[in-house]
Amino acid sequence: MQPTSYRHTILQSSGYFGPYGGTYVPEVLLPALENIAKGFDEARQDPAFLAELDHELRHFNGRETPLTPLPRLTTQLGGAQIALKNEGLNHTGAHKINHCIGQALLARRLGKKRIIAETGAGQHGYATAAVCARYGLDCTVYMGRKDYERQRPNVYWMELLGATVVPVEDGAQTLNDAVIAAFKDWVTHPEETYYLLGSAVGPHPYPQMNTFFQKIVGEEIRRQSLDQYGKLPHTMLACVGGGSNAMGMFFDLLDEPNVQLIGVEAGGKGAKPGEHASKLLGGKAGIFEGYHSYFLQENGGNIAATHSVSAGLDYCGVSPILAWLADEKRIQFAAATDAEALAAVQTLARTEGIIPALESAHAFAHAFKLAPNLSPDQLIVVNASGRGEKDLFITMRHFQEESLTAYAKHLLSGQQAAGSGQRSQQSAVDSRQSAVVYGH
Amino acid sequence: MKNTLPQPKSIADAPDCLLPAACCPLMCHLVLGYPSLAESLRTAEAYIAAGCEILELQIPFSHPTADGPLITEACRHAVEKNGVDIEACLDLVAEIRRRHPQQNIVLMSYLNPLFVFGLEKTAEKLLALDIHYLIVPDLPVDSPQAALLGPLQDDNDPIRDDKGLKLIPVLGANISDQRLEKLLASGFDFFYLMSDFKITGATFSLHPRLNAIISRLHAAGARCGIGFGISTPQQAKLAVEACGLAIVGSAFIQARNENRLQKCLSEWQNAFIVES
Ligand SMILES: Cc1ncc(COP(=O)(O)O)c(C=O)c1O
Repeated sequence: MQPTSYRHTILQSSGYFGPYGGTYVPEVLLPALENIAKGFDEARQDPAFLAELDHELRHFNGRETPLTPLPRLTTQLGGAQIALKNEGLNHTGAHKINHCIGQALLARRLGKKRIIAETGAGQHGYATAAVCARYGLDCTVYMGRKDYERQRPNVYWMELLGATVVPVEDGAQTLNDAVIAAFKDWVTHPEETYYLLGSAVGPHPYPQMNTFFQKIVGEEIRRQSLDQYGKLPHTMLACVGGGSNAMGMFFDLLDEPNVQLIGVEAGGKGAKPGEHASKLLGGKAGIFEGYHSYFLQENGGNIAATHSVSAGLDYCGVSPILAWLADEKRIQFAAATDAEALAAVQTLARTEGIIPALESAHAFAHAFKLAPNLSPDQLIVVNASGRGEKDLFITMRHFQEESLTAYAKHLLSGQQAAGSGQRSQQSAVDSRQSAVVYGH
Repeated sequence: MKNTLPQPKSIADAPDCLLPAACCPLMCHLVLGYPSLAESLRTAEAYIAAGCEILELQIPFSHPTADGPLITEACRHAVEKNGVDIEACLDLVAEIRRRHPQQNIVLMSYLNPLFVFGLEKTAEKLLALDIHYLIVPDLPVDSPQAALLGPLQDDNDPIRDDKGLKLIPVLGANISDQRLEKLLASGFDFFYLMSDFKITGATFSLHPRLNAIISRLHAAGARCGIGFGISTPQQAKLAVEACGLAIVGSAFIQARNENRLQKCLSEWQNAFIVES
């Protein structure tokens, strides 16, 4: 039976969403979490807090972001109309700053001076570093060594903003290890530190709080869709790492049964264990990092390795709210592979002049498969959760390996790069790959 | 030989609380299956032979979120290299229990392996092995999942079923008075105190607020031990003076890694025991 309102249930929850969620942390962190939960409950009912949040979202962050029609892509795919919600136009380049502004204002309200955060793609860390600079807070960001290397531009931006970025050498050196490092820091400084967690995961109140701060995305989509198209979308798609951009996009439309919601997970290199990060499709129920949800696991409850070309989706767990809504069958889930995501970056760039983040490209890749099967009076909205500049060295290696190598040599030697600007053979191959996606 | 320190209280209500003559007020930790199942059995026996009052056996987990590098490495080695799972651990615990029916044993595990195995089933298996205390660092002791391990006492019923399995709350110096009273009223009677705000294996310090907590616990008739970062017999003595029990993990793992566990244990033992 459908509850009276998903939105009401989520916002009123004391931390459980069906069986999922909860607060599974060491006792030593309970006072800090209770303080944050209580502070958040008060803040979200305080008109002064909400007015400041609104001011910052407009004048610092640049909201609202456009709902951009994609006419050339629509024509090429030959089915549903397609539009994207351009969260890449947020200050610092992704949706992450929506919850960073909210949480940093809350941290300040709670009198905390020291902020810690984890980051995968670097977008949450970058946004955290920016708000900390703006509000005068000390900022430390944990980042797996592998992500530190593959998302190097964001490391630099964080440092330029005055944050300390700590590469985590432990484990697989990805987002999961960064989360653990952040928790260990918090256990060591539980009284003075605010943990600014970056997705709709973790112990209560983070899943609910980040959903609350991100729900503006879906609220804008509702309004823009009615204004621009005279109707609500038929289908909305968002990529799913931890679930913050998906919850942001989906929340406001959860109680519209005619709006189909699809979360797209990282299919990685394939369905074998360790080669993907699809926890709703390939994981099972567990309790880890403070919350009960679906996790990729092996051998009696150990946490499995993950893989995705996109650092932001390369994580073992998923929002307990999404786990519940998956069980409720309110949200469907699909996966897109590394190759499909890379191809989608190029397709969107060349067809519509927009370079999406690799994370967001997963949602586009699935939309490309879906659109031809729908009719022109149906509207698909894809969440472009971030822009693709941060992926410079990943996509360039893929599309223009030779010119990347030449550029690296050039930087080292101070000489003119040979052959820069030339399109490599690799990129021609990928154009063909994206043509295959069109053909679906 | 006689113990120079006040005779440790047995773990309240546990039936397996007889102490060997040369008992040291130590709770000695090891990771089951590290560096191998057989070797961890030998380590357990070395602890017992050295008079360790309580044996703390940790089920290895791929991602121990509250442990320092030594225990993390030990867990990872057990899980990844040796493929040790909870079933193998319970078999080993059964063997330790068979050989040492009188030894105080507590089990330690992160929540997910127990959750996947089944919390009710975990409780059943441990009780069958005459193990009555369990540490789960990421399970708040009054959460709904904790209830699956066995019922808590309510205020109106002060006599808790002796045969139950009890969680050992792991407290830091930031516990509120209110919360402490609630835990005591719920029947928890053995507490793990973090020496300070840190992870296992860090440098040792004693948080000044611990004394007040210890006084309250002792006044309520509960037992407690201090752990996290204890790496020398002198530090252990400070902990024992403060609360009656020192909990040691990483230091012994390090000693074992450096092939000097035996020597290390006799040093610790000597520090606690003087010839009469
Ligand atoms: C642009 C972008 N999209 C999506 C994600 C995935 O996170 P979530 O699922 O919480 O939106 C990230 C995470 O780093 C990101 O940077």
